[in-house]
Amino acid sequence: MISGYLSCTRGSLIGLLSGATLLLAINAQASDLPERQVSLMSSSCANCHGTDGQLAGAIPAIAGRPASVLEAQLLAFKQDLQPNTTVMNRIAKGYTDEELKSLANYFANVKRK
Amino acid sequence: MSNKNTSFSTSRRRLLKGLGMVGLLPAIPTIAASTSGHAGHVIVVGGGFGGATAAKYIKRGNPKIDVTLIEPNSTFYTCPFSNLVLAGERSLDSIGHNYDELKNVFGVKVIHAFAEDIDGVAHKVTLSTGEVLSYDRLLLSPGIDMRWNAIEGYDQAASEKAPHAWKAGNQTLLLRKQLEEMEDGGTFVMSVPADPFRCPPGPYERASLVAHYLKHHKPRSKILILDSKDSFSKQGLFTNAWKEIYGDMIEWVGVSGDGRVVRVDADKREVETEFGTLHSASALNIIPPQKAGFIADRAGVTNESGWVPVNPNTFESQQVADIYVVGDATIAAPMPKSGFAANTQGKVAAAAIVASLAGITAPDPYWANTCYSLVNPDYGISVAGVYKVEDNQIITVPGSGGLSAADASSEIRQAEAAYAVGWYEAITQDTWGTKY
Ligand SMILES: Cc1cc2nc3c(=O)[nH]c(=O)nc-3n(C[C@H](O)[C@H](O)[C@H](O)COP(=O)(O)OP(=O)(O)OC[C@H]3O[C@@H](n4cnc5c(N)ncnc54)[C@H](O)[C@@H]3O)c2cc1C
Repeated sequence: MISGYLSCTRGSLIGLLSGATLLLAINAQASDLPERQVSLMSSSCANCHGTDGQLAGAIPAIAGRPASVLEAQLLAFKQDLQPNTTVMNRIAKGYTDEELKSLANYFANVKRK
Repeated sequence: MSNKNTSFSTSRRRLLKGLGMVGLLPAIPTIAASTSGHAGHVIVVGGGFGGATAAKYIKRGNPKIDVTLIEPNSTFYTCPFSNLVLAGERSLDSIGHNYDELKNVFGVKVIHAFAEDIDGVAHKVTLSTGEVLSYDRLLLSPGIDMRWNAIEGYDQAASEKAPHAWKAGNQTLLLRKQLEEMEDGGTFVMSVPADPFRCPPGPYERASLVAHYLKHHKPRSKILILDSKDSFSKQGLFTNAWKEIYGDMIEWVGVSGDGRVVRVDADKREVETEFGTLHSASALNIIPPQKAGFIADRAGVTNESGWVPVNPNTFESQQVADIYVVGDATIAAPMPKSGFAANTQGKVAAAAIVASLAGITAPDPYWANTCYSLVNPDYGISVAGVYKVEDNQIITVPGSGGLSAADASSEIRQAEAAYAVGWYEAITQDTWGTKY
């Protein structure tokens, strides 16, 4: 459906708007950070969780997990509420709550392979 | 959804961004094989942690960009986990990675040759094959070169007899052989340079894993670390763990205790320190001072320090336009010279190159780093950091990062050792492709 936008010009803004509104209803949680930025921010996570957070091994995959679960987990790491954490508490403290929310949304939207 | 046309998708994003809805778009275009390269040609020199990552992420960012990777070796042996090979805990094979996925899945053109010269004005790279290639953007991730003869008597020929093993592969095997041939009761001597050098905690992880090997095979042996500085990465964690696990097997001598090696006799396996003390070794590991790989000099991007100053937002050279440099070759403190950092710098530079070829501004950079060290195969410690740019400087985000807890339980140490393996599998998958 989004591919329809590829041919979208200003003249067909109405079509764009109605499509976007529909999407908005599906994902009301989206954050305000620019997408390219979130994509770049998320790419550091790949170094332990695999490309797009897909790799499951000693370290769990994060792709496709519910955004609310991921966000709550990240906030718990950041606030030192998760006992026996090794490194994620030190990492999560490097991001604002808004950034953590965008990361949670980002990985929730990756389709798990 | 396949993102067939990036210039369209860019304007689509701009449109939606204006409407405050960019977060709605699927973030990553799936890969579509591209035949035409109207979007530009990027040459990447070096298929290590920084270069292989950058090549892949440029293609992911815009498959229409032609990417050519220049790397002499068809198998890349990682320095990470090479200390386990040294200790006999892993095969060299298990730390080797190839370029098949970059070629076959991402459509990167790989040429196995050396880049010998670069003309930044004419935008040309000369290869060891004689071929001359033109680029729109160039990315260098050549890693380090040794400063031969910075220590008297230590040149390339000497490194065959007293290996540095600071590039993995044959050097790792040479040092492993010396360890295997060492008598019980012998001394493993390691010389460590002053900062900056590749992998700040690496020498101390190496001492730990060599101790692990000796403890089980040659328990009367000793390890002597002769250091050109007075403190080192994760020092408290390492020294406590050494005492706990290895007793007094490992002795560390800092620069003020006469630890700086000034002369090496590789044939005799003997070193001399600053104040004239001679030490003879059964196995001798000289980690010499380092600088950016020579191709960075040829490109004119190094400064008087021998390393490469970069624009922190994009990792473009401060000295030559359209040349981006990442990894160990760069001056990127407080980020360490690590494979993890080289990988995340490769992604920042890739995003900046994709943006620059599309004529739009680069996204704000983000970097993270975690360096694991194994004190033994079941005992891991780490140092981490998250980085951003402030006032045109790279800074550690306040409150982020730091060391493993000093008083952590053995369960936590064991978990970190398992995560070190998880990290290795993930970063090598992300950089070169699936292996495990
Ligand atoms: C013992 C040891 C342990 C380590 N452990 C860790 C760890 O646990 N975690 C971690 O994050 N980091 C670790 N590191 C550090 C890590 O290896 C480096 O930081 C990383 O390799 C840097 O990546 P790079 O891309 O800058 O260079 P490299 O990965 O070295 O890649 C450089 C590549 O460029 C190629 N090249 C050079 N010149 C040319 C040329 N002129 N033309 C074509 N190709 C060229 C080389 O062949 C090489 O393949 C360790 C290092 C050592 C020595």
